[in-house]
Amino acid sequence: MDKNMQHRANVLQGTLDMLILRTLVYGAAHGREIGKYIQRTTNDFLQMQHGSLYPALHRLEKKGWIVSKWETAPDRNREFKYYRLTEKGKKQLVIEESQWKQMAEAVARVMWPAGEES
Amino acid sequence: MRWWQIRKRDADLERELSSDLELEVEEQRERGLSPEEARLAALRAFGNPTLIREQSHLAWGLEWLESFLKDVAYGIRSLFRSPALTAVALLSLGLGIGANTAIFSFLDAILLRNLPVQQPSQLVLVGTGAWSGRSDAWAISELYSYPFYRDLQKNNTVFSDTASILSMTNSVFGTVDNRDHTEPMKVQLISGTYFPTLGVRPLLGRLLTDEDDNTEGNHPVAVISYAWWAGSLSRDPQVLNRKLKLGNTTFDIVGVAPQEFFGTTVGQRPDIWVPMSMIAFVPPNWGSYSDKRNESLYIFGRLKPGVSLDQATSNINLVFHQIWLSYRNAHVTQQDLADLQKTQVPLTPMEKGLSGLRSEYSKPLKVLISLTGIVLLIACANIANLLLARSTARVREFAVRQALGAKRSRLIRQLLTESLLLAAAGGALGIALTGLANRILLRMISSGPDTIPLDVSIHTDVLLFTIGVTVFTALLFGTLPALRATKLELTESLKDGRSADNGGQKTPLAKGVIITQIAFSLVLLVGAILFVRSLINLNHVDTGFNRENALVLSLDPSSIGYKDSEPRLSTLYQQIEQRIAAIHGVTSASFAMFTFSQGAWNNSVIIPGIDPSLSHNISQNVVGNDYFKAMQIPIIAGRAFGPQDTSTSQKVTIISESFAKRFFPNTNPIGRHFAIGVDQNVPQYDMEIIGIAKDAKFEGLGEGRTYTDYMPYAQRARYLQSLVVRYTGDPAIVSGAVQNTIHSIDGGLPITRVSSLEEQVAGSITQQRTVAQLSTFFGLLAVFLCCIGIYGLMSYMVSRRTNEIGIRMALGAERSNVSWLIMREIILLVTIGVVIGVPVALAGSRLVTNMLFGIQGTDAITLIASVAALLLVGIISGYLPARRASQVDPMMALRYE
Repeated sequence: MDKNMQHRANVLQGTLDMLILRTLVYGAAHGREIGKYIQRTTNDFLQMQHGSLYPALHRLEKKGWIVSKWETAPDRNREFKYYRLTEKGKKQLVIEESQWKQMAEAVARVMWPAGEES
Repeated sequence: MRWWQIRKRDADLERELSSDLELEVEEQRERGLSPEEARLAALRAFGNPTLIREQSHLAWGLEWLESFLKDVAYGIRSLFRSPALTAVALLSLGLGIGANTAIFSFLDAILLRNLPVQQPSQLVLVGTGAWSGRSDAWAISELYSYPFYRDLQKNNTVFSDTASILSMTNSVFGTVDNRDHTEPMKVQLISGTYFPTLGVRPLLGRLLTDEDDNTEGNHPVAVISYAWWAGSLSRDPQVLNRKLKLGNTTFDIVGVAPQEFFGTTVGQRPDIWVPMSMIAFVPPNWGSYSDKRNESLYIFGRLKPGVSLDQATSNINLVFHQIWLSYRNAHVTQQDLADLQKTQVPLTPMEKGLSGLRSEYSKPLKVLISLTGIVLLIACANIANLLLARSTARVREFAVRQALGAKRSRLIRQLLTESLLLAAAGGALGIALTGLANRILLRMISSGPDTIPLDVSIHTDVLLFTIGVTVFTALLFGTLPALRATKLELTESLKDGRSADNGGQKTPLAKGVIITQIAFSLVLLVGAILFVRSLINLNHVDTGFNRENALVLSLDPSSIGYKDSEPRLSTLYQQIEQRIAAIHGVTSASFAMFTFSQGAWNNSVIIPGIDPSLSHNISQNVVGNDYFKAMQIPIIAGRAFGPQDTSTSQKVTIISESFAKRFFPNTNPIGRHFAIGVDQNVPQYDMEIIGIAKDAKFEGLGEGRTYTDYMPYAQRARYLQSLVVRYTGDPAIVSGAVQNTIHSIDGGLPITRVSSLEEQVAGSITQQRTVAQLSTFFGLLAVFLCCIGIYGLMSYMVSRRTNEIGIRMALGAERSNVSWLIMREIILLVTIGVVIGVPVALAGSRLVTNMLFGIQGTDAITLIASVAALLLVGIISGYLPARRASQVDPMMALRYE
């Protein structure tokens, strides 16, 4: 097993949806780009498991938060399945974002109480 | 979601994955890796595409489908691995389900299905729907005259609508428009209220109304059936402009009945409905519009809402008595009143229609459905046993799979899938067999050349029934082996699939199943033997006439303008008889009103010195002079009819032997007189007895003594439906010559049917023959399945006990001892089965006693024969495994260990 793997975290349960939606805010992307983007942005800290990425994409599509279409990539002469954020998806992103913020703040208060701030 | 959508989605996913993977490969190559390295690196980075697909499927919730499809595929493979077992299982299921569905189709068509009319449950019949009136009651309470129908309609307060229908359909040779040939049509005479009472709506035109039935003779209109419109008129849209000629009258077609409406009698399908007002114009001119004594109609009504059957019965009886008294008000005696009080008219619900088939077949069908039910149970038991044996043989396989982590529920599901697969295939086979069986059965119950028009196509009810049976079967034989197969001690089974101690103890379930099968088979076998012996008894009944070498032709002079009772009928008959008697190969020929099993005309006779209440129900027959020669009924005293008996000479009669013995016990009846008719209004018909004929069966083989009087047609011209031709030589040649001769006398005279006395006798016991044949088939099927069951179980036990047998033989057991070891087991099982089966069979056969002829349900010989047959069959099917056991090579058996 690669030793580096131990220092990398899998995407936290429940946050993958949010990350995908956030990524799509910049525009349409195909599965590979989404995965690459998340991985690159976190400096390879978050490892994208393709086994969870594609099912997640399909799940989001089924919920109506994103839509897909086969389109030719601008840089390559080949069709990819591009995902796009829907209006419903944008609203969902806002909800998830605020929930995550609350969650992160709550966790932070426990871990670093105000008095102990260094 | 449909499967093709699933497949489309799956293809889409695959395309997405491969396009993204391809991109990864390209990117790796752009980094300077070789194509091969790039591919491997991409796969490493990307992960296992198959796994991703499976995870996606999981996200789609398709896991169950995939594992189900896998189970199905695996099930099919494993069923094909043991083709013999699969074939036997499928065949037993197919036959079991097919037989059940077929019999159920008939049960449904004849006993269960409602008429396709509005609210059939409100319809009630006045009387019980018997074929003929009970003429020993003074007032007939089954069939009524047209004036009676009108009076009942007027006076009752419980029916919202009252209708009547002639109790028989008229078979008419009529002409469509100006076609140059006649064709057979079944015409049903009905009151104008018939369609309104039923609430049937026309497909085209209009149906008949009471307006068509208010004055006699001037409503030549007809409604035709959908089937006849589609067949004979090729769905002519201009049908309402077409005409029909029946007898001498031309009828306008005014409407077409809807497709599902077949009339009100199950097993009959009239082509044409004509209002009762035209009764005198439709050949053969049965019945009458105004004669109060001509009682040949069924009356039915629609109950007013809220009226119970009891209320209706009491009102109808009241009205019935009033009308009856009003008809005889001139001379009502105390005796008449007493008799009338005894006459109660029952009302019978008519939601399922009238049916002669129903009274004839209701008991046999119930018996048959019980038999087929047992057959299906045996088939299921058999399959349970086969699967049980197989799953025990697969114990190691299951142990390995469980050890590798398969859940018990998963294994059970897979076994259930296999069973359901088997049941589904068996069910499909069963439905296919049903179609075939329905046609064969319909042919079997149709006594004449025409198939009974009965709708027995598989419809929803029957299909649901079949599916119910199939699923029940699957669960029944799927659950037991599945539960058993997976309830195992892992280590025990992995250690050894063949340990010595689980040979005997592990099969009580299988043995129980075998015992049940034997008990049921015994019941079926006893039934089959009883019905077959009953049929043989019927076939050996002395009919009193010689049924061989005699043709019976039916002619229809009414369709060429001859009227009933016309003297020129006699001239026509005489001419035909003479010309036919002259044909080479014909010994004699004679017309007759009835030959055998063609219905009856019963009357009361008045014999001086005999109480008239004793001499009801005498069968009358009008015959030609050579009738006794043609039928070969011996004249035992006096003479036969001859040319000296003419319309002007003294009326004469010949009586049957039983008639003579009963009414002239101590005297010679020759030369004595008696008269027909009890009603004072009608001149009595006085006759002199000139001869005594031996008794001959008249209505059926099962009837007792026959009290018959014969009259010559020369003195009583009537429509005579049959011509008996006694011949020698080839029947086909004689039949051709006879028909040619009739055509040469009058080319237009229709020959409606050609058969033989033998066929008529055979036709009269169609029901008994059908039951005997079917019960034999089911009995043999049951025994066959039983054999397979025994053979399967014993083979399995022998293979389980191979090493035990090996040890025994190594220790010096004789081969015969080893055989006996196995045979003992079989004999024990069969004996237990028989001991259980005998009381069941006795109880069951008591129920069918009244369907038997000349044999008791509790017949000892039948029982002994069945037991012996089962023992024999059981021993034979157990012999092969036993012999195999005795040929076990001890060294081989032990080495295997």
